[in-house]
Amino acid sequence: MKKKAKFLIAWGIFCVLLLLASSWYAVTFNDSRLVVPMDFERYTFQLKDLPMILSIFLTCIYGITLFVTLISNICKKTRQTERTHQTRSLNPKLGYLGFLGLLGFSGFWTYSIDGSVFPFTFFLFFGFFGFYYEGKMSGTFMDERFLENAAKANLKASNITLSIIFLAFLILCQRKLFGSLEYTLIAVIITLSIAFALRIFLSEYLLYRYDHDEQAGESED
Amino acid sequence: MAEFECRLKKYRQLKGLTQEQLAQKVGVRRETIMRLEKAQYNPSLKLAIDISRIVEAPIEEIFIFE
Repeated sequence: MKKKAKFLIAWGIFCVLLLLASSWYAVTFNDSRLVVPMDFERYTFQLKDLPMILSIFLTCIYGITLFVTLISNICKKTRQTERTHQTRSLNPKLGYLGFLGLLGFSGFWTYSIDGSVFPFTFFLFFGFFGFYYEGKMSGTFMDERFLENAAKANLKASNITLSIIFLAFLILCQRKLFGSLEYTLIAVIITLSIAFALRIFLSEYLLYRYDHDEQAGESED
Repeated sequence: MAEFECRLKKYRQLKGLTQEQLAQKVGVRRETIMRLEKAQYNPSLKLAIDISRIVEAPIEEIFIFE
Protein backbone atom coordinates (compact mmCIF):
# COMPACT_ATOMS: atom_id res chain seq x y z
CA MET A 1 0.00 0.00 0.00
CA LYS A 2 2.76 2.40 0.99
CA LYS A 3 4.68 1.33 -2.10
CA LYS A 4 1.70 2.27 -4.27
CA ALA A 5 1.34 5.65 -2.53
CA LYS A 6 5.04 6.38 -3.04
CA PHE A 7 4.73 5.40 -6.70
CA LEU A 8 1.74 7.74 -7.16
CA ILE A 9 3.57 10.64 -5.47
CA ALA A 10 6.67 10.05 -7.61
CA TRP A 11 4.54 9.85 -10.77
CA GLY A 12 2.79 13.11 -9.78
CA ILE A 13 6.11 14.91 -9.26
CA PHE A 14 7.37 13.49 -12.58
CA CYS A 15 4.23 14.77 -14.38
CA VAL A 16 4.63 18.27 -12.90
CA LEU A 17 8.31 18.40 -13.89
CA LEU A 18 7.50 17.06 -17.36
CA LEU A 19 4.76 19.68 -17.81
CA LEU A 20 7.12 22.45 -16.68
CA ALA A 21 9.88 21.27 -19.02
CA SER A 22 7.58 20.85 -22.03
CA SER A 23 5.97 24.24 -21.34
CA TRP A 24 9.42 25.82 -21.24
CA TYR A 25 10.29 24.05 -24.51
CA ALA A 26 7.03 25.18 -26.17
CA VAL A 27 7.47 28.80 -25.02
CA THR A 28 11.15 28.92 -26.05
CA PHE A 29 11.19 26.92 -29.32
CA ASN A 30 7.57 26.47 -30.44
CA ASP A 31 5.85 29.90 -30.28
CA SER A 32 4.03 28.87 -27.06
CA ARG A 33 1.85 26.42 -29.00
CA LEU A 34 -0.48 24.40 -26.74
CA VAL A 35 0.51 26.66 -23.83
CA VAL A 36 -1.44 29.79 -24.72
CA PRO A 37 -5.13 29.41 -25.82
CA MET A 38 -5.35 28.50 -29.51
CA ASP A 39 -7.95 27.67 -32.16
CA PHE A 40 -8.06 23.87 -32.23
CA GLU A 41 -10.27 23.80 -35.33
CA ARG A 42 -7.29 24.96 -37.38
CA TYR A 43 -4.77 22.89 -35.50
CA THR A 44 -2.23 20.92 -37.52
CA PHE A 45 0.22 18.58 -35.90
CA GLN A 46 3.90 19.57 -35.79
CA LEU A 47 6.75 17.46 -34.49
CA LYS A 48 7.67 20.20 -32.00
CA ASP A 49 4.23 19.74 -30.35
CA LEU A 50 5.14 16.22 -29.33
CA PRO A 51 6.72 16.99 -25.87
CA MET A 52 3.70 19.04 -24.83
CA ILE A 53 1.21 16.44 -26.12
CA LEU A 54 3.09 13.63 -24.35
CA SER A 55 3.27 15.48 -21.02
CA ILE A 56 -0.44 16.39 -21.17
CA PHE A 57 -1.30 12.77 -22.06
CA LEU A 58 0.77 11.42 -19.15
CA THR A 59 -0.76 13.96 -16.75
CA CYS A 60 -4.27 12.96 -17.87
CA ILE A 61 -3.45 9.27 -17.36
CA TYR A 62 -2.10 10.18 -13.91
CA GLY A 63 -5.28 12.09 -13.05
CA ILE A 64 -7.47 9.16 -14.12
CA THR A 65 -5.32 6.68 -12.16
CA LEU A 66 -5.50 8.90 -9.08
CA PHE A 67 -9.29 9.15 -9.40
CA VAL A 68 -9.74 5.38 -9.86
CA THR A 69 -7.41 4.65 -6.91
CA LEU A 70 -9.34 7.08 -4.71
CA ILE A 71 -12.72 5.58 -5.62
CA SER A 72 -11.50 1.99 -5.15
CA ASN A 73 -10.01 2.92 -1.76
CA ILE A 74 -13.28 4.51 -0.65
CA CYS A 75 -15.22 1.40 -1.73
CA LYS A 76 -12.71 -0.84 0.05
CA LYS A 77 -12.97 1.17 3.28
CA THR A 78 -16.77 1.17 3.09
CA ARG A 79 -16.82 -2.63 2.68
CA GLN A 80 -14.35 -2.96 5.56
CA THR A 81 -16.54 -0.75 7.76
CA GLU A 82 -19.60 -2.87 6.96
CA ARG A 83 -17.70 -6.07 7.69
CA THR A 84 -15.98 -5.06 10.93
CA HIS A 85 -18.58 -2.57 12.26
CA GLN A 86 -15.73 -0.23 13.09
CA THR A 87 -15.34 3.40 12.07
CA ARG A 88 -12.84 4.00 9.30
CA SER A 89 -9.28 4.74 10.32
CA LEU A 90 -8.27 8.29 9.60
CA ASN A 91 -5.37 10.47 10.68
CA PRO A 92 -6.67 13.39 12.82
CA LYS A 93 -4.05 15.55 11.10
CA LEU A 94 -6.29 15.46 8.01
CA GLY A 95 -8.33 18.03 9.94
CA TYR A 96 -5.77 20.59 8.80
CA LEU A 97 -7.36 20.26 5.35
CA GLY A 98 -10.07 22.49 6.82
CA PHE A 99 -7.76 25.44 6.25
CA LEU A 100 -8.45 24.90 2.53
CA GLY A 101 -11.71 26.69 3.32
CA LEU A 102 -9.70 29.91 3.32
CA LEU A 103 -9.54 29.43 -0.48
CA GLY A 104 -13.12 30.67 -0.46
CA PHE A 105 -11.77 34.20 0.03
CA SER A 106 -10.19 33.92 -3.43
CA GLY A 107 -13.73 34.40 -4.74
CA PHE A 108 -13.51 38.10 -3.90
CA TRP A 109 -10.41 38.31 -6.09
CA THR A 110 -11.77 36.27 -9.05
CA TYR A 111 -15.05 38.20 -8.92
CA SER A 112 -13.19 41.48 -9.25
CA ILE A 113 -11.03 40.08 -12.11
CA ASP A 114 -13.50 38.24 -14.36
CA GLY A 115 -16.76 38.09 -12.43
CA SER A 116 -16.52 34.36 -11.63
CA VAL A 117 -18.11 33.40 -8.34
CA PHE A 118 -17.51 29.63 -8.07
CA PRO A 119 -14.41 29.97 -5.80
CA PHE A 120 -16.77 31.10 -3.04
CA THR A 121 -17.89 27.47 -2.85
CA PHE A 122 -14.42 26.60 -1.51
CA PHE A 123 -15.69 27.78 1.89
CA LEU A 124 -17.20 24.29 1.95
CA PHE A 125 -13.72 22.93 2.66
CA PHE A 126 -13.99 24.31 6.22
CA GLY A 127 -16.02 21.16 6.79
CA PHE A 128 -12.79 19.14 6.58
CA PHE A 129 -12.01 20.30 10.13
CA GLY A 130 -14.40 17.48 11.04
CA PHE A 131 -11.71 14.98 10.00
CA TYR A 132 -9.94 15.88 13.24
CA TYR A 133 -12.76 14.46 15.35
CA GLU A 134 -13.43 11.61 12.94
CA GLY A 135 -9.75 10.70 13.16
CA LYS A 136 -9.92 10.70 16.96
CA MET A 137 -12.69 8.12 16.75
CA SER A 138 -10.85 5.91 14.26
CA GLY A 139 -11.50 2.21 14.67
CA THR A 140 -14.30 2.70 17.22
CA PHE A 141 -16.66 -0.26 17.39
CA MET A 142 -20.07 0.92 16.19
CA ASP A 143 -22.50 -0.59 18.68
CA GLU A 144 -26.11 0.49 19.01
CA ARG A 145 -25.33 3.40 21.37
CA PHE A 146 -22.70 4.73 18.95
CA LEU A 147 -25.17 4.54 16.05
CA GLU A 148 -27.80 6.25 18.18
CA ASN A 149 -25.34 9.03 19.05
CA ALA A 150 -24.40 9.35 15.37
CA ALA A 151 -28.05 9.73 14.39
CA LYS A 152 -28.55 12.28 17.19
CA ALA A 153 -25.48 14.25 16.08
CA ASN A 154 -26.57 14.19 12.43
CA LEU A 155 -30.04 15.38 13.34
CA LYS A 156 -28.77 18.25 15.48
CA ALA A 157 -26.22 19.29 12.84
CA SER A 158 -28.93 19.28 10.16
CA ASN A 159 -31.29 21.30 12.35
CA ILE A 160 -28.64 23.94 13.05
CA THR A 161 -27.67 24.12 9.37
CA LEU A 162 -31.25 24.44 8.16
CA SER A 163 -31.96 27.13 10.77
CA ILE A 164 -28.93 29.13 9.62
CA ILE A 165 -29.93 28.79 5.95
CA PHE A 166 -33.51 29.75 6.72
CA LEU A 167 -32.48 32.83 8.73
CA ALA A 168 -29.92 33.89 6.12
CA PHE A 169 -32.46 33.57 3.31
CA LEU A 170 -35.05 35.41 5.34
CA ILE A 171 -32.64 38.34 5.71
CA LEU A 172 -31.28 38.20 2.14
CA CYS A 173 -34.73 38.03 0.57
CA GLN A 174 -35.71 41.36 2.07
CA ARG A 175 -33.92 43.40 -0.60
CA LYS A 176 -30.98 43.38 -2.97
CA LEU A 177 -27.66 43.41 -1.13
CA PHE A 178 -26.03 46.83 -1.68
CA GLY A 179 -28.59 47.28 -4.48
CA SER A 180 -27.11 44.45 -6.57
CA LEU A 181 -28.63 41.06 -7.29
CA GLU A 182 -25.12 39.69 -8.00
CA TYR A 183 -23.99 40.58 -4.48
CA THR A 184 -27.09 38.81 -3.17
CA LEU A 185 -26.16 35.71 -5.20
CA ILE A 186 -22.62 35.82 -3.78
CA ALA A 187 -24.00 36.11 -0.25
CA VAL A 188 -26.26 33.11 -0.93
CA ILE A 189 -23.34 31.02 -2.24
CA ILE A 190 -21.19 31.95 0.78
CA THR A 191 -24.03 31.21 3.19
CA LEU A 192 -24.79 27.83 1.62
CA SER A 193 -21.12 26.83 1.47
CA ILE A 194 -20.43 27.77 5.09
CA ALA A 195 -23.69 26.19 6.26
CA PHE A 196 -22.87 22.88 4.56
CA ALA A 197 -19.31 23.04 5.91
CA LEU A 198 -20.81 23.52 9.37
CA ARG A 199 -23.09 20.53 8.76
CA ILE A 200 -20.10 18.31 7.89
CA PHE A 201 -18.04 19.56 10.84
CA LEU A 202 -20.83 19.52 13.43
CA SER A 203 -21.93 15.95 12.72
CA GLU A 204 -18.43 14.72 13.56
CA TYR A 205 -17.84 17.14 16.43
CA LEU A 206 -21.17 16.44 18.13
CA LEU A 207 -20.74 12.68 17.74
CA TYR A 208 -17.34 12.97 19.42
CA ARG A 209 -18.80 15.07 22.21
CA TYR A 210 -21.76 12.75 22.80
CA ASP A 211 -19.52 9.73 22.82
CA HIS A 212 -16.81 11.19 25.04
CA ASP A 213 -18.75 13.43 27.41
CA GLU A 214 -20.81 10.41 28.32
CA GLN A 215 -17.66 8.52 29.17
CA ALA A 216 -16.39 11.20 31.55
CA GLY A 217 -16.20 9.95 35.09
CA GLU A 218 -16.84 6.35 34.14
CA SER A 219 -14.88 3.58 35.75
CA GLU A 220 -14.58 -0.16 35.53
CA ASP A 221 -17.07 -1.96 37.85
CA MET B 1 -41.90 10.14 32.01
CA ALA B 2 -41.13 6.65 33.33
CA GLU B 3 -38.25 6.35 35.73
CA PHE B 4 -35.65 3.87 34.63
CA GLU B 5 -33.71 1.69 37.02
CA CYS B 6 -31.13 -0.86 36.04
CA ARG B 7 -29.93 -3.72 38.20
CA LEU B 8 -27.49 -5.06 35.67
CA LYS B 9 -24.44 -4.53 37.86
CA LYS B 10 -25.82 -6.85 40.55
CA TYR B 11 -26.69 -9.66 38.10
CA ARG B 12 -23.43 -9.24 36.20
CA GLN B 13 -21.39 -9.55 39.39
CA LEU B 14 -23.42 -12.58 40.43
CA LYS B 15 -22.33 -14.24 37.17
CA GLY B 16 -18.73 -13.18 37.87
CA LEU B 17 -18.43 -11.19 34.65
CA THR B 18 -16.52 -7.97 34.12
CA GLN B 19 -18.04 -5.15 32.09
CA GLU B 20 -15.61 -5.91 29.28
CA GLN B 21 -16.55 -9.61 29.21
CA LEU B 22 -20.27 -8.86 29.18
CA ALA B 23 -19.76 -6.22 26.49
CA GLN B 24 -17.96 -8.73 24.30
CA LYS B 25 -20.64 -11.37 24.81
CA VAL B 26 -23.49 -9.05 23.79
CA GLY B 27 -21.54 -7.22 21.05
CA VAL B 28 -21.34 -3.70 22.44
CA ARG B 29 -18.60 -1.48 23.88
CA ARG B 30 -17.71 -1.49 27.57
CA GLU B 31 -18.84 2.14 27.75
CA THR B 32 -22.34 1.05 26.76
CA ILE B 33 -22.47 -1.42 29.64
CA MET B 34 -21.26 1.36 31.97
CA ARG B 35 -24.03 3.65 30.79
CA LEU B 36 -26.59 0.89 31.19
CA GLU B 37 -25.51 0.20 34.75
CA LYS B 38 -25.84 3.87 35.56
CA ALA B 39 -29.32 3.80 34.00
CA GLN B 40 -28.22 6.51 31.60
CA TYR B 41 -28.90 4.53 28.47
CA ASN B 42 -32.06 2.89 27.27
CA PRO B 43 -31.14 -0.40 25.55
CA SER B 44 -32.82 -1.80 22.47
CA LEU B 45 -35.06 -4.81 22.94
CA LYS B 46 -32.44 -7.02 21.30
CA LEU B 47 -29.69 -5.85 23.65
CA ALA B 48 -31.97 -6.24 26.67
CA ILE B 49 -32.82 -9.82 25.65
CA ASP B 50 -29.15 -10.65 24.96
CA ILE B 51 -28.12 -9.32 28.38
CA SER B 52 -30.94 -11.15 30.08
CA ARG B 53 -29.80 -14.43 28.47
CA ILE B 54 -26.17 -13.91 29.42
CA VAL B 55 -26.80 -13.01 33.06
CA GLU B 56 -29.64 -15.54 33.24
CA ALA B 57 -32.16 -13.21 34.79
CA PRO B 58 -35.56 -12.02 33.55
CA ILE B 59 -35.57 -8.71 31.66
CA GLU B 60 -38.11 -7.14 34.05
CA GLU B 61 -35.76 -7.91 36.94
CA ILE B 62 -32.79 -6.21 35.28
CA PHE B 63 -34.50 -3.20 33.70
CA ILE B 64 -37.20 -1.60 35.76
CA PHE B 65 -39.50 1.17 34.53
CA GLU B 66 -41.66 2.88 37.13
